[in-house]
Amino acid sequence: MSSWLDYTINGLIVGNVYALVAVGLALIFGVSRLINFAQGSIYLVGAYIGWVAVVQLHTPLPLTIIVVAAAAAVVGLIIERFGLRPLQNSVRIAPLLATIGISFVLDQLVMLTFSPNPRALPSQLPDVRFQLGGGTIGPLDLLIAGVGITSALLLFVFLRYSKLGWAVRAASQDRDAAMQMGVDVNRVNQAVFGIAAALGGVSGMLVGMYYNQIDTAMSLQATLKGVVAEVVGGAGNVPGAVIGSLLLGLVESYGVAVFGTSYRNLFAFLLLVVVLVLRPNGLFASARQAPPEPLTGTFIAPSRPVRIPRWALAVAAAGFAILPFFPVSFYVLQTLINAWLLGMLALSLTLVAGTMGQVSLGHAALLAIGAYTSALLSLTLSVPVGLAVIGGGLVSAALGTLLISPSFRLRGHYVSIATLAIGEIVSLVILNWESVTRGPIGISGIPPLSLFGYDLISPTSIYWFSFAVMVVLALLQGRLLGSHLGRSFRAIRDDDIAARAYGLSLNRYKSLAFIFGGFAAGVSGGIAAHLYSYINHETFNTQQSILALTVVILGGLGNVVGAIVGSVALVGLPEVFRIAAEYRILIYGIVLLLLVRFRPQGLLGTI
Amino acid sequence: MSNIDRRTLVKGSLAAMMAGAAFSRSAFAQSAEPILLGVSGPLTGPNAQYGTQWKQGFDLALDEITAAGGINGRKLAYQFEDSQSDPRQSVAIAQKFVSDPRIVLELGDFSSPASMAASPIYQRGGLVQFGFTNSHPDFTKGGDFMWSTSVSQADEQPLLAAYAVKRLGLKKLAVLHLNTDWGRTSRDYFVKAAKEYGAEVAVTEGYIAEERDFRSTLVRVRDANPDGLILISYYSDGALIARQARQVGLKQTICAASSVYSPKFLELGGEAVEAVHLGTRYFPEDPRPEVKKFIAGFKAKYGGQEPDAFNAYSYDAMNMAAAVVKIGGTDRRAIRDAFAKVKDVSSVIFGSATFDVESRRVKGAMNAELVVRKGQFALWDGKPT
Repeated sequence: MSSWLDYTINGLIVGNVYALVAVGLALIFGVSRLINFAQGSIYLVGAYIGWVAVVQLHTPLPLTIIVVAAAAAVVGLIIERFGLRPLQNSVRIAPLLATIGISFVLDQLVMLTFSPNPRALPSQLPDVRFQLGGGTIGPLDLLIAGVGITSALLLFVFLRYSKLGWAVRAASQDRDAAMQMGVDVNRVNQAVFGIAAALGGVSGMLVGMYYNQIDTAMSLQATLKGVVAEVVGGAGNVPGAVIGSLLLGLVESYGVAVFGTSYRNLFAFLLLVVVLVLRPNGLFASARQAPPEPLTGTFIAPSRPVRIPRWALAVAAAGFAILPFFPVSFYVLQTLINAWLLGMLALSLTLVAGTMGQVSLGHAALLAIGAYTSALLSLTLSVPVGLAVIGGGLVSAALGTLLISPSFRLRGHYVSIATLAIGEIVSLVILNWESVTRGPIGISGIPPLSLFGYDLISPTSIYWFSFAVMVVLALLQGRLLGSHLGRSFRAIRDDDIAARAYGLSLNRYKSLAFIFGGFAAGVSGGIAAHLYSYINHETFNTQQSILALTVVILGGLGNVVGAIVGSVALVGLPEVFRIAAEYRILIYGIVLLLLVRFRPQGLLGTI
Repeated sequence: MSNIDRRTLVKGSLAAMMAGAAFSRSAFAQSAEPILLGVSGPLTGPNAQYGTQWKQGFDLALDEITAAGGINGRKLAYQFEDSQSDPRQSVAIAQKFVSDPRIVLELGDFSSPASMAASPIYQRGGLVQFGFTNSHPDFTKGGDFMWSTSVSQADEQPLLAAYAVKRLGLKKLAVLHLNTDWGRTSRDYFVKAAKEYGAEVAVTEGYIAEERDFRSTLVRVRDANPDGLILISYYSDGALIARQARQVGLKQTICAASSVYSPKFLELGGEAVEAVHLGTRYFPEDPRPEVKKFIAGFKAKYGGQEPDAFNAYSYDAMNMAAAVVKIGGTDRRAIRDAFAKVKDVSSVIFGSATFDVESRRVKGAMNAELVVRKGQFALWDGKPT
């Protein structure tokens, strides 16, 4: 029985750590309805500034905290002023993408300045331990809890009783009305970003001291767990974020207790999905709260798409089709193969996210399902590879739609978070379901692509094959968009209430979109599996999902040609920047930011 | 030319400038193109730290090779392409290297998904993929162009088990392992060997690489009531586990795999890693001449920094590549055949390395049993801790 007490204490201790990030995220979401994916990067920056202060400058702890908070607040203000404020009047999805770009840039800058090697960040508190249950806690645990709870309380009081706090709340409820009442919305945003960043920076430093370890990989993990905790507690609800974090810590700890360590994150993400499905506004959202999400129509920009004449498309397609006859290197062909495979994924996502308005952040899961299905069909059941790939597409369509269906009633950001969680769940199931997926060992010796008994192993033949599959899928999707189905999809995206009033069944159309999208993504994953010959649970990771979303937004949401152009650009750019070696991801992040800044509707525009 | 390791280029041009008097010599150096190796590995992304460690080992080895006259008078150089350990990028890099006639041999990649996705391309393109950290048991099964000096876990884990069970007398073990292909394979070999030596494995727990918090895992460990903890970890997660184990009051003996062998382990773990036992392939006071040369050279080149396991792997790999190119010349097939011919290459990890032609791996890694004493790695003196 005493073990359960220990599991409870441990859950609360780690929940305490999550709360620090979640509070900052909740604050920003509360005001700007934005999930700040750069919060983890500010956390990272704070940890390294703390390292400089402690190890190089030998500052005492109170001074360290002030230095870190001030420096991180400056970073937050810079992000707000130059990264987000210019996007104020742009599409709602643009700031989301901008925060992803900013997080790339910040992470890379830290990595380039401090090298990716982990560093020790010694705690400056006396090393005394207090017995609690079977284990001990130290002064840092108390300090972290103190900072988390105090900041949540202070923020709560600030929002409720101070004049600026009222302005913040007014701006979050109705920006235009607040402006009419004379609220300086920019100042409000500045205040919020400054506070959230200061908090993020201090939390990065404290967590670094807690583990005596900081490294550049801590940013994404912090963001992921923080987002989960924040949404569980009710997005935008600051005290809720603290309770959500503690709950997350407890669920993880009990999950470890019952099933073992490798199931830990599975429980974290299952908790998120369950909460989203049962109480989409989070556990602690009050009933009278205004709907936290605008209608999807304002989430995705209406814009005039660039019309490309058909003959030009045909010429471009023919050009790519005959490319291998010219003296191009296999390296170029291989890069384009990657672009075509990413293109299929982007087609899938542009349909689901752009045309249907369900912005998915877990699309790599569909790749993984297709890849594993195709690999296992061909290896264990000796299904011919061509059929196995189609099987991968079908299973991915069916399973993907089934998994996403509980979250059909969600909107806007919540769809993204639910799909993010589902993506993580799929990857963790692959890791743990060893009897089928072979767990972390992965599947090796997957046979190469073949069609009607002919092996496709030369880069040229794989190039043609993947290009042809992508073109067929693109044509099908173009046809789909031109039909009444496409019009219904867009109607639901632009105004689901009106669409429902016209008698459109939302769930049925959403299912149709996911079935088609799941097929395209599954085929892409299947081809990749046979191309690589080896896959494991890490092959199709969260970065892939984020890349796919970037492609889709870059090309223009819902835009079929845009998805392909975007894929070529985003596979090509990092290759072009190879000369820049360590700097290439930094350059890529900056290019992404500039694109969002100057062309938020995407290169070819939303359809 | 643009991507050849910049350091080499800068050095080369500096040397050329300073050797302005010896004009004829610098003109000769320009005409002799270096023999070029391709490296595919992470310089950015979550595994970036390992790519930077590789570079340190490579550069040290190359300095020594150049000082010793290069390969039959020609310089050896490498072109490092960043793959972020992402299979999509490693396959593109593979095609790039295969279609670049200057590349005679490829080293890497780091993670199994990135390395093994590229294997079919290297195999079909007839370019040796020399995966010096690829412990996945299927890596060299990709074809006869896949060779590896990664210490086989079938070799390493029984040594660790013998240390824990026979020497330290542990009877009931808890195994914590990274839940990757490497950690999983290692765990299986370890558990098998430990059981053969008569120990009981009470609990095994796999954790993902991003994990930071192990307190709940350690409660499970405590409840299994072991007398020893086995860490199949890298240095950063190994240090985290050791710290948290001591914090929650576990006082059992900790015994770790050689991959924690790094000064970073001591730095990150602090007092908690005191008395941690580990099996390694070499140690600071190792009397072997190749180890002395490696450690002295490394400290001199990198401002007193102690080398770690990944530095040693890459240093060995570059020396092995040089030895192979010496025999095989610059023809890719001849280089593949040279891997079977090369004998007794001086190696930090193996003492002297010779490939087993059947498995295309090297057997018989050196073994040293260390313990952390007063914040330093020291040879274990047989005293209980």
